[in-house]
Amino acid sequence: MLGNGRDWWQVPRPVAPVLDVDSLMKAYPKQRALDGVSLTIEAGEIFALLGPNGAGKTTLIGAVCGLVRKTSGTVKVFGIDLDVDPVTPRYQMGLVPQEINFDPFFTVRESLRIQQGYFGVAPDLARIDELLEALALTSKADQPTRALSGGMKRRLLIAKALVHRPRLVFLDEPTAGVDVELRRDLWAYVRKLRAEGTTVVLTTHYLEEAEELADRVGIIDQGKLLLVEEKTALMKRLGERHVKVRFASKVAALPAALEGTLSTDGLSYAFVEQPAVGPRAAEVLQRIFSAGLPVADVSTGSAKLEDILLRVLKQGKAAT
Amino acid sequence: MNLIGARTLLGKEVRRFLRVPGQTVLQPLISTSLYFVVFGYTLGGRQAQVEGVPYVQYIVPGLVFLGVANNAFLNASSSFFITKIQGTIVDLLVAPLGATELLFGFISGAMVRGLLVGLLTWVVALFFTGAHLVNVFETALFLGLSAYVFSVLGLLAGIWAEKFEQINFFPTFLMLPLTFLGGVFYSVRGLPEPFRTISLFNPVVHMVEGLRAGMLGLEHSSPVGLALLVTLALAATALAWTMLRNGYRIKS
Ligand SMILES: Nc1ncnc2c1ncn2[C@@H]1O[C@H](COP(=O)(O)OP(=O)(O)O)[C@@H](O)[C@H]1O
Ligand SMILES: [Mg+2]
Repeated sequence: MLGNGRDWWQVPRPVAPVLDVDSLMKAYPKQRALDGVSLTIEAGEIFALLGPNGAGKTTLIGAVCGLVRKTSGTVKVFGIDLDVDPVTPRYQMGLVPQEINFDPFFTVRESLRIQQGYFGVAPDLARIDELLEALALTSKADQPTRALSGGMKRRLLIAKALVHRPRLVFLDEPTAGVDVELRRDLWAYVRKLRAEGTTVVLTTHYLEEAEELADRVGIIDQGKLLLVEEKTALMKRLGERHVKVRFASKVAALPAALEGTLSTDGLSYAFVEQPAVGPRAAEVLQRIFSAGLPVADVSTGSAKLEDILLRVLKQGKAAT
Repeated sequence: MNLIGARTLLGKEVRRFLRVPGQTVLQPLISTSLYFVVFGYTLGGRQAQVEGVPYVQYIVPGLVFLGVANNAFLNASSSFFITKIQGTIVDLLVAPLGATELLFGFISGAMVRGLLVGLLTWVVALFFTGAHLVNVFETALFLGLSAYVFSVLGLLAGIWAEKFEQINFFPTFLMLPLTFLGGVFYSVRGLPEPFRTISLFNPVVHMVEGLRAGMLGLEHSSPVGLALLVTLALAATALAWTMLRNGYRIKS
């Protein structure tokens, strides 16, 4: 036995996490944008960082990507402490910043070549063409960047972040202003990146996006990480199912001991399934039918990540 | 050292000013040539001699210097400032480019423009005065030093400035007095005291004298002056490197 209660064959290989943030703090004169954030991200996952505006998502990404000077704490990327060596890990990192930027002097293709060069990569035109294609920018390749629409500029930012084939990519609201159709394509592309072994950290306003893509979810508010959990586990644990039943005629009372609430007019019934406590939605419905109530319509729905986010944020506020 | 990255930045800087050659090369070339005509023929007069050479010829090194210094400074300051304002600084910060690579890229890009304009000015001058080049090494040394020092100073201005108002401050309130009081059109050696001694603290004086020595064989570039310029170059470089390293006015 080893000291930590594991037998030697159970000791995991000492592979450093892709990103290891410890007690990260960023204080601006007026407030703490990051207030002791600790977070570990393993290779090959898609991690979604959720939180309201001003929660500290962009600051967290900025502190990792060299845009923000941290106040205290440590950040390790691929096992390298950025205080010791801030440059080497960046060969393998990419960032899609939240704010759109572009250099009006250059065309789309030139911008990508320049970005490739910055990352110490010899010109790889095939990679550039592949990204232009994947991000639907091929027809704009030789246009100056100022001629692109907002959504196209954002796609160019995404291409720039990927042009050197990074192992770790940060996407700060990558689909803001990108139309729905292209958003789907982008999601598919992000999944493809993961399939190739790229680790993706994204922030998003569209919870649907996190729900669709993320393996794990972190919820941040006021510079504090309130929760980090596997998305499916989180949705199972906190995701409620709603049951609504409409009756054809007025129901005087519910069968004894049936959970849920009958509306005052006696025409509808509502029930919220709480995982781990109380009966399941199916059991409740069973009892309504076997009691012979005049059921006209049944609807069920499950909680969205959005509901979960709101609840966690509310609990977080209550706790502070 | 990210060599490909540093070279890419240099290439980008050069292509950036070559995209608008009218503004970055032609316009400064015309204005320095106008100085040449006005000061050389109208004010100085065709017949006047300074230190044994016609006045038109005497001012050539100073005008070449003006082209070098102004354009090196402007390129570095405006390019870095614009990079901050338009947000493309993010591309540089995220990339594996340390302070050294950034220094190299911005300074060498600015030097290319400064030297290009300076050399073109010289070519124009040749039509008026004929060719004079006494000491190739000395000329190259002082051209290079002038371009380097003003590129670094321009970079410092670009890092420091946060508003257009601030970046526009330098050409008028720094470059103009520094160069015009730096003996571009006259010899500070002939000034009455205390102006002569005061002038010797102006680095521009030593750049211009060095070029006059190299091109025309006039005056002598003093070792003290050269030491002053090298010290200035090293100090300005160290300051710029530290600012870039710490993300001064670049990182939040
Ligand atoms: N440069 C800055 N100076 C002062 N405060 C800032 C700066 N950048 C961000 N903040 C503050 O830090 C907090 C977190 O901001 P940010 O990380 O951008 O939030 P998010 O990306 O989650 O919307 C906000 O309250 C914001 O006002
Ligand atoms: Mg943000």
